[in-house]
Amino acid sequence: MKSSSLIKRVIGALTLLMVAVLFAGCSSAKGASKKVVHISYWHVNAQTQGGASVDELVKNFNKTHKYIKVTAKYNPNMYQGLMQNLQSAQASGKVPDLVQVGWAYTNYFASNFKYLTPTDAQSKFDNSKTFISKNFTSRTLSFAKDSKNKLVGLPYSLSTPILYYNKTMLAKYGIDASSLSTWEGVSAAAKKIKAASGNYGLYIQEPADTWAQQALQLSNGAQIKKNGKAVFASAAGVKAYQFYQDMVVKDKTALHTPWAQGIDDFVNGKVAIAYTTVAQASHIKKSANFDVEAITSPHFAGHKATVPVGGSMLAITAQKTEQQKAAWTFEKYLYQNSSLVTWSKGTGYLPPTASAMSSQAFKSYLSENPMLKPAASQIKTAVPWTSFPKNGLQAEQTMIDTRDKILSGSNVQTTLKAAQEKINEQQK
Amino acid sequence: MNSRSSKKNKFLTFAYLAPTAIILLVFMIIPIIYTLYLSFFDWNLIAPTKDFVGLENYISIFTDPVNQKVLLNTVFYIVLLLVLNFLIPYFISIVVKFFIGKMQSSYKIIFFIPSLFSLVVGAMLFSWIMNPVSGPIAFFMRQLGVSLPNWTNSGAMAIVVLCLMTNWKVFGYNFVLLLTGLGSVPQNIIDATKMDSIPKWRMIWDIVLPLNKSIAFYVLILTIVQGLQYVFTPISVITQGGPYYGSSNVLYHTYLNAFVLYKTGNASALAVITFLIFLVLLYLEIKFVEGRADRYE
Repeated sequence: MKSSSLIKRVIGALTLLMVAVLFAGCSSAKGASKKVVHISYWHVNAQTQGGASVDELVKNFNKTHKYIKVTAKYNPNMYQGLMQNLQSAQASGKVPDLVQVGWAYTNYFASNFKYLTPTDAQSKFDNSKTFISKNFTSRTLSFAKDSKNKLVGLPYSLSTPILYYNKTMLAKYGIDASSLSTWEGVSAAAKKIKAASGNYGLYIQEPADTWAQQALQLSNGAQIKKNGKAVFASAAGVKAYQFYQDMVVKDKTALHTPWAQGIDDFVNGKVAIAYTTVAQASHIKKSANFDVEAITSPHFAGHKATVPVGGSMLAITAQKTEQQKAAWTFEKYLYQNSSLVTWSKGTGYLPPTASAMSSQAFKSYLSENPMLKPAASQIKTAVPWTSFPKNGLQAEQTMIDTRDKILSGSNVQTTLKAAQEKINEQQK
Repeated sequence: MNSRSSKKNKFLTFAYLAPTAIILLVFMIIPIIYTLYLSFFDWNLIAPTKDFVGLENYISIFTDPVNQKVLLNTVFYIVLLLVLNFLIPYFISIVVKFFIGKMQSSYKIIFFIPSLFSLVVGAMLFSWIMNPVSGPIAFFMRQLGVSLPNWTNSGAMAIVVLCLMTNWKVFGYNFVLLLTGLGSVPQNIIDATKMDSIPKWRMIWDIVLPLNKSIAFYVLILTIVQGLQYVFTPISVITQGGPYYGSSNVLYHTYLNAFVLYKTGNASALAVITFLIFLVLLYLEIKFVEGRADRYE
């Protein structure tokens, strides 16, 4: 009794196994060339910051591409958070296939992770080999190059800092917005507002990077980096920072406070002018209960306005050819004009390709959101985000520390000089 | 007991301990040892090679002015947290227990509510309420003709405000713990002091406080160890350790080194030092409290 039931069980199991093998054989025979490839795409867009458009794009792609299935994964805490997750993924050996990399991490990413450059992807998978050159200008591509001048990924989200102003307040104190095209003009306006109302005139964003402060120095003809070395403590660089410190410390016409509070103060009508990223446009528009407008980044008298670009690139981290090809296909889909416009509308970033920028859909979006126009016009002259070849993240921290010290009143020249030496020491 | 059953007993002891022991080993002991190991290297978390640097990471902790500043801030944090999250709740729970008597449970509930909220939400709320330029407190103060100082620009003021935020979160929990402890003091002893018409403050000082020592000791340790961890959230949300590390503490600085700058060696050395400081603190407190205990036994 006992043994016969055992035999029955064994036979049953064997039959099941055979059927399974048969079916498996069937499916593999049929789909040998057309197996569904699964890839994962890591992004930083929370639901309120374009996450919905990521989902929409992925859904449409999966619908139109039968043999590729993309899964999008949201990484909290922006590019820094994504980089932290990517490290644990690398340590566990299970990396995603396509990732967004913030500009500040270009060199760190390039020297520590395995990735497929867009140039290699193009020559490996495309017949025509013109996708990159047809869609991107050489200036745009320069944003995504590492210190060895190698293209690490393709630029995906672009942003620039712009000058927002409280039109209602400026009109009240008789300040003409056209005077804000130079930093000297901004300072004069801020003085007038401070004297008349007691409110602050200016707030320059202070997140955990010195993007906006670099724009200030660059627009006085200074350079941040030259031949891989820090050179921001030049006479022009010192002068720009001195100007900023005077507004904060001496005149008290500019506000020095963390980013979120500074933007709150602007939308609550306590600061007349805010210098921050275009990505804040929709938040500012929604929260301000006064007329708000934006103009291009100011410059110092006698110099040209120069802004570093913000945002991210897409890099292929897939290791197998199959996945790399699928990631490249998905990437090309994301760079179609219609996809880029959806992306722009969802995030407030500017599209990276010339044809999307000049597409009818994007143009009509711009005319509905005039605050994005100055940012779009600046892209043509923007420069890459400063990324030092070695210890780049520590260099950025040094520049943040420098900003903190200068805005608390320490000597501009010696502080900048010390920071420059510290960074250059770490480049050896 | 024969030897077989004692063997079985031994086996069972190990079997019952195993789940906890394994979890402790995997998530506590091995990471601590690995941290100690990493503290002797210069490594960026993913590079294939780790450079051995000996004690350099430790030397930099005590010679680097930023690290010194952060260590000093930590002491300031501990003192402030002790006052805000231990002494004040203790004082108020004594008042509620022995001087008010009525509505004890309502106080418990009212004070406990904030500890149900996420500290991230709390930090964002406070950063709006305390905004020195456009927040509601600044508005009311301006009506009275005074201006709220810009606390994010001063390390000391930022530390005070950040501690107040954790106080908002922790106060109720510590209060309830201490009040419960006070409730377990035998009523007959308290009644006896009343019979002997001993003043209340003497009753509290000589009877209640010593009897409630173990709970108080637990809350004290919790205040230091957990308080420094809790304060991490508002630092990360509001000041990121600024202005110029003025509001940073060892835990935030460890995080900054490890996961923002990817200087694993420095971060590990800091973590080891923190671990040792906590160990010494715990030892001292135990010694101190045990020593005092002899007097009453």
